[in-house]
Amino acid sequence: MKLRNFLLPLVLAAMAGTAMAQSGVPTGTPAAVAAKIQLRGDANDIVIPEIRIVRRNDVMVVQADMKSTTDSNRTVFYRFRWLDSSGSQVGDGESWKQMTVLGHQILTVKSVALHSSAVDFRIEMNVETQ
Amino acid sequence: MPKLSLILALLASVALSACATGVQSPVVRFDRQVNYGDAKAVELVTNEFGSSDLQMIAEKMVGSLLETGIFQGRPTVTISTVKNKTSEYIDTTNVMNSIQTALVKSGKVRFTRSINEMQAGVDELQRQNQSGLYKSKTTAKVGQMTAAKYSMEGELTSIVKQNSSTKDVFYKFTLKLFDVEEGTIEWQDEKEIRKTSKR
Repeated sequence: MKLRNFLLPLVLAAMAGTAMAQSGVPTGTPAAVAAKIQLRGDANDIVIPEIRIVRRNDVMVVQADMKSTTDSNRTVFYRFRWLDSSGSQVGDGESWKQMTVLGHQILTVKSVALHSSAVDFRIEMNVETQ
Repeated sequence: MPKLSLILALLASVALSACATGVQSPVVRFDRQVNYGDAKAVELVTNEFGSSDLQMIAEKMVGSLLETGIFQGRPTVTISTVKNKTSEYIDTTNVMNSIQTALVKSGKVRFTRSINEMQAGVDELQRQNQSGLYKSKTTAKVGQMTAAKYSMEGELTSIVKQNSSTKDVFYKFTLKLFDVEEGTIEWQDEKEIRKTSKR
């Protein structure tokens, strides 16, 4: 099957340096990435070095890397929230997901917008220590 | 007389206590043992198949289907069988309903009646055409249904392993989209879920 990839060259990590001083953002997450993150509480050594955004077959596809900067395991709860051009939420919202990130592991989470009206997104997340 | 004074005192105390509690919420309950929760929250009550599993499966399958672009031109799809090959009782129709709902809301596809839904459609057609109750101009014509181009078939399996301290359940949901005319699989994806609990 032929896939039409309308790649938006939005590798956000390339757009900005690291180091954040913004509240509610994992320390070490690039500024452009941080704008897409809604962190509740402490990031507990989890950083998001890169987010990749693609518009494929008229729907938005997002991948985010979650990287542990500690030896210990972390439990990450996350979900994607899709927004339309007016900033309103598209649909009822995704279910929360739970994911274990092992020490110094990088895991990629992916989500696809379920409607073509989604043009922006946020990743809601919180991190528990084990 | 002492009895009357006692009753009056009780009534007064009830009235005073009612004033002290302030406004009440419009609910029927006796205490706060029951509350509404987040329907999208991660459910970790047991490691049996639960609401989070259903939601994760539906989201993954719908996302995968929309991403591939197989639904260009708004084709027609029908839901066929959903086999539950686990040892649990699971209403697999629920999974397919969630997938169907999200796909319909996406506007990318049209669903035709499934086998289970067909009888109700036939009954309504017969009622309109054979009862003699309706104006002929307004009745839905027999033989005008649109057939499905694709058929969706799913299967849920599980592997359960346990010892004295740990129980591990591995679920795998497989969804296939068949071209009805050609009999070919045009799309297929899986969602794997591992749930481990201490005993």
